[in-house]
Parts: sequence; structure tokens; C-alpha cells
Amino acid sequence: MNAVERWAGNPFFVLELAVTASRAEVERAGQKWLAMLELGLARAAIYTTPLGVRARTPELVRTAMAELRDPERRAGHEPWCLLQEPASVIDPPESTASEGEPGFDAMGPLQWSRR
Amino acid sequence: MTGRPLYVGIDLGTTNSAVAVFDGESTQVVRNAQGSPLTPSVVRIDAKGRVTVGSAARRFLDRDPENTRSEFKRLMGTERPLPFRASGRELTPPELAAEILKALRGDVRDQLGSLPTAAVISVPALFELPQSAATAEAARLAGFDKVELLPEPIASALAAGWTAEHGDGRWLVYDLGGGTFDVSLLETDGGFLRVVGHDGDNFLGGRDVDWAIVDWATAMIEREHGVKIRRDNPEHAAATAQLKHAAEEAKVALSRANEAVLTMPAPLEIAGHGAFDPELVLGRATLEELLAPLVDRSLEVCRRLLADHHTDPGQLARIVFVGGPTVTPLLRARVAQVLGAPVADGLDPMTLVAQGAAIHAATSALDGRGAGPLVRRGARLWLQFPAVCTDLSPHVVGRVVEGGSGPMPERIHLVRDDGGFTSEVTTLDAEHAFVVAVELVSRHANTFTIVAQDAAGAVLAVDPPTVTIVQGMTIGDPPLSRSIGVALASDQVQVYFERGTPLPARRSFTHVTVESVARASADSVLKIPIVQGEHDRAHLCRLVGTLEIPGHAIARTLPAGSDIELTIELDRGGRMSARALVPALDQVFEHVAHLLVPAADTEVLAASLATLRKRVDDLRADAFRRGMAQVLGTLEHAEHELAEVARDLGAALGGNDDAGQRARRNLLEIDAALDEVEQSKQWPELEQRAVRTLTWAGGQIAYLGTDRERALFEDIARAIDGARQERNVRDLQRQLRLANQLGETAWYRDPDTWPALFDAASSRIDAATDLPKAQALVREGRAANGRNDYAELRRITEKLWKLLPHDPSAQRQSYDSGVR
Repeated sequence: MNAVERWAGNPFFVLELAVTASRAEVERAGQKWLAMLELGLARAAIYTTPLGVRARTPELVRTAMAELRDPERRAGHEPWCLLQEPASVIDPPESTASEGEPGFDAMGPLQWSRR
Repeated sequence: MTGRPLYVGIDLGTTNSAVAVFDGESTQVVRNAQGSPLTPSVVRIDAKGRVTVGSAARRFLDRDPENTRSEFKRLMGTERPLPFRASGRELTPPELAAEILKALRGDVRDQLGSLPTAAVISVPALFELPQSAATAEAARLAGFDKVELLPEPIASALAAGWTAEHGDGRWLVYDLGGGTFDVSLLETDGGFLRVVGHDGDNFLGGRDVDWAIVDWATAMIEREHGVKIRRDNPEHAAATAQLKHAAEEAKVALSRANEAVLTMPAPLEIAGHGAFDPELVLGRATLEELLAPLVDRSLEVCRRLLADHHTDPGQLARIVFVGGPTVTPLLRARVAQVLGAPVADGLDPMTLVAQGAAIHAATSALDGRGAGPLVRRGARLWLQFPAVCTDLSPHVVGRVVEGGSGPMPERIHLVRDDGGFTSEVTTLDAEHAFVVAVELVSRHANTFTIVAQDAAGAVLAVDPPTVTIVQGMTIGDPPLSRSIGVALASDQVQVYFERGTPLPARRSFTHVTVESVARASADSVLKIPIVQGEHDRAHLCRLVGTLEIPGHAIARTLPAGSDIELTIELDRGGRMSARALVPALDQVFEHVAHLLVPAADTEVLAASLATLRKRVDDLRADAFRRGMAQVLGTLEHAEHELAEVARDLGAALGGNDDAGQRARRNLLEIDAALDEVEQSKQWPELEQRAVRTLTWAGGQIAYLGTDRERALFEDIARAIDGARQERNVRDLQRQLRLANQLGETAWYRDPDTWPALFDAASSRIDAATDLPKAQALVREGRAANGRNDYAELRRITEKLWKLLPHDPSAQRQSYDSGVR
């Protein structure tokens, strides 16, 4: 998952909560979405982000709950939830050229010579 | 199904096991036929094949060791069966564990009148996947239909939290088992329990105290009788076992008395010396001396955990003790005094884990009574609600799945049985579903009647007619103890689940094969190794399973460069399943092979020990030259651990398989620790890489990135600075990967990028795994480039990458992985 997709998976978006949500509200919302997903309810299947609509899955909900339970990790998500810029066009590649140091290794000997 | 629910929790321990039940409000420890809450994890099979379990079997441990087995929990996940000579039978570790579980299951039936069909079983926090799989298999063999596994520290935390009347704050669970030490830092906040962090020492346990007493006893025997008893001498194994048993009993006796006699059931027999009966009296003061270094080691781990989470020992609200060795008053007093925190009273360290597992069974809605007789009345509802929850206002979500013979419900509301709450009336939506908020009475089992009405307001029968929600402390989904991923042919790891991922979890990635698999060939097999660990390099992680695609099972030959869509799934107990879809064959492969812990061959262990000792010496010499004081501390610790391994190896040579497995596991841990030391030597190189990455990715993002990417990059750059300041190698590597990914995202937008990448890939096609296909792609690519069709050029380049060769030596190291 690239960094932009990680942003689309912001736990506040997934759980449809405001950044001011209390710990109890996090648990309540997570429990509700997991229950609705288990029952296959259509309104639980998607959520909206500034990057567009995304699919909501039980894994995503559980991860979101775990992220917001930890105060330090929660603090890392709060600023991103507040940003509401229009969606940018992101088109990541199907696979990277290299598994070593992407970007540098992809072009082999060319690396820096082009730029 | 009538009466109160039966939630069953089992602590399947190395030395003793326990079972507890939870009825929705309180836990009860189930006593065995002897009236004890603890059942020794010992199995005996006599010459007639009769199986005895628990204390009846334990009595034969010294007298008849060839037909009596204990401590087989440490062998879980290995394929080695243990022989029972008199009967000629051989049982695997899961089969032995199943005998214990059957006995505990029987105890529940005897005491509560119902044979449970579901349970939660606790497992050590750092159990590997094969060990978890073996535990689940033991439960199946014991007759359980459903089972969930729960890490022991979480179970004890849950039990301690459930009964706690204290307010918010941080507290410590100090868990000293027979062979391992675990410590967990927990936090209660507004009734919610959270595991803040966990640490431990795989080399420290109550058994170390027993062995310290044995060493003291053998020194006394040598002094007074002139007989030297050696633990690594197979001829002294019976005498050593007798002394160990006597040491365990003396240790327990000293928790009440000032001195204890080491009593042997029979005189010690030593070749060349005949039989003799030593008189050994152990005093509290001597035990305290023997205990002190071990307790100090545990305190060092506690301090490290607290420091990692910026918690001062004085801030701790309380300490909860878990495990048999913590019953020792000397230990409790010393820990409480040094950490300066109060000890939680009223909690039984021997059964706390089983009680926590029982509470967790309620959270997971694992009612051990099983399904009752099917009596349906009215419209059938499919309901989802938390069986146990901390929240006072949870939701009940439902859906009408079958209307029954009468009219369909239109509206629904819930009424609490004490009459103190009635929910809002909710109209069912187009999917015949409803979401209703209810209010709970704190620390009670709250039962609600579901009132369904038709359009005219008439009340309709529904099935089920009620729901029950217990309000109390709960803990989030169990976290994964170690990261899991796929070893790639490059010896790198594609991480599927990071450590801490809440379970259950499922993820899919598409891999590409690096070699072809010939149809119908017996030798041709594509391996997808699944590894567990925190290292970047696959060979440093532990192989926990291999998904294989054999030549004899494929419909046609699978060429190199083919896609494989791999899905790995973990259930709440950390049990893994994997599924590989091969679109080119339209076939699915699901068989995960070799999900076993490797055997602990003593010759291999001895060789590994010698290699690691030399490695420590070399690293120490190097660290002195470079003046790396921090590294010296780590190496000193590794040296101490290697001495422990040497002791276990001695015991393994004396025929103790369990000690052999412990030595194997610990050698791997030390190996990984030394790898980290070597990685830290490469810190200057990593710092240079950080500068290069920041410059390159920053340039791409500044030139081609969006506002969002620029903001994200700033965030990552800050994290890189933090990792550099803390000299955290792993975190720095992770952040650099993220920065590169972001840089690449921007870079791929540049129209000049794909022609350059295509040229670079084309220059290497001489070595392609399918040369004709690669040549054809190069021709197509040139044409696409000529007409400036960059989208097509990108597609072609990505195909070319899949045909480029891999490094065979890296592949061998990476458990012969056939994918990238």
C-alpha cells in the first residue's frame, strides 16, 4: 500500500467519526460497522474519503479500531483526517522495477544521470 | 439450550493446566476429581495401554520415566512422537496435550453437568504459528468443535481487569512461568483495557530456580559424599530428575516454612558409587540468595519495558502476579519493593490465565453448551451484538432472514428485562435490517426482549426472542505477536501482516513466479515460503509454512513470469491458512506444507552454538576497535544467553528433548540479536542512504508531486529524522521504503520515466527467463515509444521486469522461494 492509499484508509474515515470522538464512540462505531458488515448490509460496504469512495472491510474496521485505541498512533491520524483537499490523481505502478531500493535501483546504471 | 451460558477457558500449561468457566457475571475455577484447581500436565500409559493424566500420572514421573511424559508443551509443533515403552505406543505432542484437555473437559462435565464443545485456550505470547496450529489440533482431538487461542498475558490481564475495582491507570502483569518470563504493561482508561507494551525473557523461568537448587544440592553432595553428579551425563539422568523433583517440592514448602528437606522417593543411584541417601536441608536465606540474581534479571526486563513506554515505576497503580513461581513470598516482596508499586490482592496467580480465557470465550460468543434443539417460532432474525462489552450504549444490529408463516415485522424495539430501559422504535429498512442502540446496567448480564410489530402494530413472534449482553471490561482484538510475510526470491520479505495487527486478518498480494513449473514432473515444484519475524531479510525470519505448487498437480506447464494471487488469512487464535490462485491455470492451491517446528538435532545445535560463540568474539573485537559501548552490552547479554543454551544442550545430550527445543529456539533469538548488532555497524551506510533517499524522493515530489504528496512527504521526512535520532535501524528502513514509494509515485508521472525504464530493462533481456517473449516485448516497446504511447510502454516494461532473472544464491537463502 502506498502512502496515499494509507491516507485513504484513515481510521476516522473508515469508522465515520469526527476527530473529537471519545474512546467509547470508537468502540461503539467499530462494533456497529463490524455487525453490519457481518450481516452483509449494503450501507456498510463503502465509506467516503476526499480521494473518493472506498470499500469498507472487517479487516479495515478492526485495524482502524486498533489504531484509535493507541493514543500515540491516534494522534498521528488526526491531522490527516482534518485535511479535506480535492482528490489528486494517483496512479501507482502495477509492480516496482526493483525490490531493493525502489526509485534508485529501478533504472540500474541510469539512476541519477537523467535528472 | 437453557440456563446460564457456559464459557470455558483453559490454561494449557507446561507444568500444570487449569480450566475455568464464566457464566456472564463471574468466573469459577473448576476443580478436578482430586479437588485441586491444578491438573499436572503429565500423561502416563501403562503396559496395558491405560492412560492416566494429572497427579496420578505425575507420581510415576521419577519411578517410570519411560512411560510417563511431562513438559510436552515445549515440543508442540514438532513432528517427533514420544514413545511409551511398556505399551509400545507413540503419541505426538498434540495427542498428549489432547489427553490433558480431555481430562479438563471431563472435569467441567462432572462439576457443571455439561460436556463443553467450545473453549478458549491460552498460548504463550510468542508462540510460533506451528505451535498454535498444534494446540488447535490438540483441542480438536479432545473433542472441542470450536476453539480460539489467546495469548497468555492478554488472558491474565483480562481476568485482572475484570475483577478490578480500581480507577484508571497503568499496571504491570508480571508473569513468571516454568521456563519463560513475560511482562505486560496495561492501561485502563474509562473502563477500556489496552495492552500498552510487552517484553520478556525466554531464558528465565521458575525452572531456573529449580536448577539453581539442583546445582546447590549437587555441590553439597560432592562436598559431603565425594560424588559428582553431572546434568549432562546420561548415566546421571535419573539422579538429576530425582533432585529436580525434590527441588521443586522444597521451593514450594519454603513459601510457608523457614527450611525444607529435599526428600527423594528412593536413594540416588550413581554408577561406581552405589546407592546413597543424601540429607539436604535448604533454608530460606539460601533460597533467597539463589533467587536474587534471577529476580534481578526479571526486574531489568520490567524497567526496560517501562522506559520504552515512558512510564516511571512510581506511576504504576499495581502489579499483578501470574504463574506458579510468583507464589514465592520472597519474590513478590522483592519485586514490589524495587518497583515501588502496590501488589494487587485477591488474584490467584495459578488460575488467573484460565479465568481470563473464560472471560474471553464470552467476548467471542463461544458458548460451550453448543447448539440446543432446534425450536423455531416466528420470523427468524440474524443478530449481531457484542456478547460482552465495555461500552454502556452498544448497538444491536439485525436482519430478518426468514419471515416464518405470518406477516413480516415492520418495526422493532428492545426492552431490558429489569424494565429500566426501552429502546427507540426502529423501522426496518429495504434490506429488512435494523440498528438499535441499547443501554446497559454496569457489570451485569443485561437481557433484552426483542419486540417486533407488523404494520398494524400487532406484536409478532421472533426467533431468537431475546439477546443478552454482559457489561464489563473487555480487550480489543488479540494482536499478532510477530509479523508474517512471504519470503521472496530476492531474500526480501513481502509483509502481509505487521506485528500488532488485530486478528482475525486477511490480505492478498499478487506475486510473479521466477521459474517455470513443468507439468507432470515429480521434481518440479514452486515454493511460496511463509515466514514470521521482524527482519527485512527472509532468511533471518522463521519459516512457518510453505505453500507448494507441484508439477504433478498443475493442468499445464506454468511459465516463469506468471501471476500468483496469494491470500493469507489468520483467525483470532493466530492460525494461518493460505490460498494461491494461479489465473494462467485457473487453479487454486491451498495446501500449506511443513507447518512444523524443525527438529532439534544436538549435533547441529552444538555446531550452531560454537559458530555463535565465535561470532560474539569477532563482534566484540570489532566493537572495541570502534568504541561501540552499547554494542558491548548487547554482546555481554548474548554471551550470558549462550551459556544458558550450553546448559540446555547438555540436558538435551542427556536425553531431554524439551531442553533441545528450548536451545534451538534460543539460538535463533541470539542469531537474530547478533544480526541486529551487525546491522548497527552499517549505520553510517544507512545514514548515507537516508540522505540519498530524501534528496531523490524530495526532488521528485517537489517537481512532479501533488500538494497531498508533498504534505505526506514532510510527515515521512519527520519520521526519518526521528528514526535517525533514535538510531532505530528497522524503523529507518521502513520509513525510507515509504519515502521511496512516494517518490516513485511522483516519478512515474514524468513522461520521460517509462522510456528510460524500458531502455534499462531491454538492456538486460539476454538473461530473460523467456528470451523469445522478451524479444517480442522489446519490439512492441520500441513501437510504443516511437508513437509516444507511454501507457502502453509502461505495460510492456512491467511485463519485461517479470521476465528478468533473479539471483539464485538469494533464492536458496530465502527458503527456495519461487516468487517475487
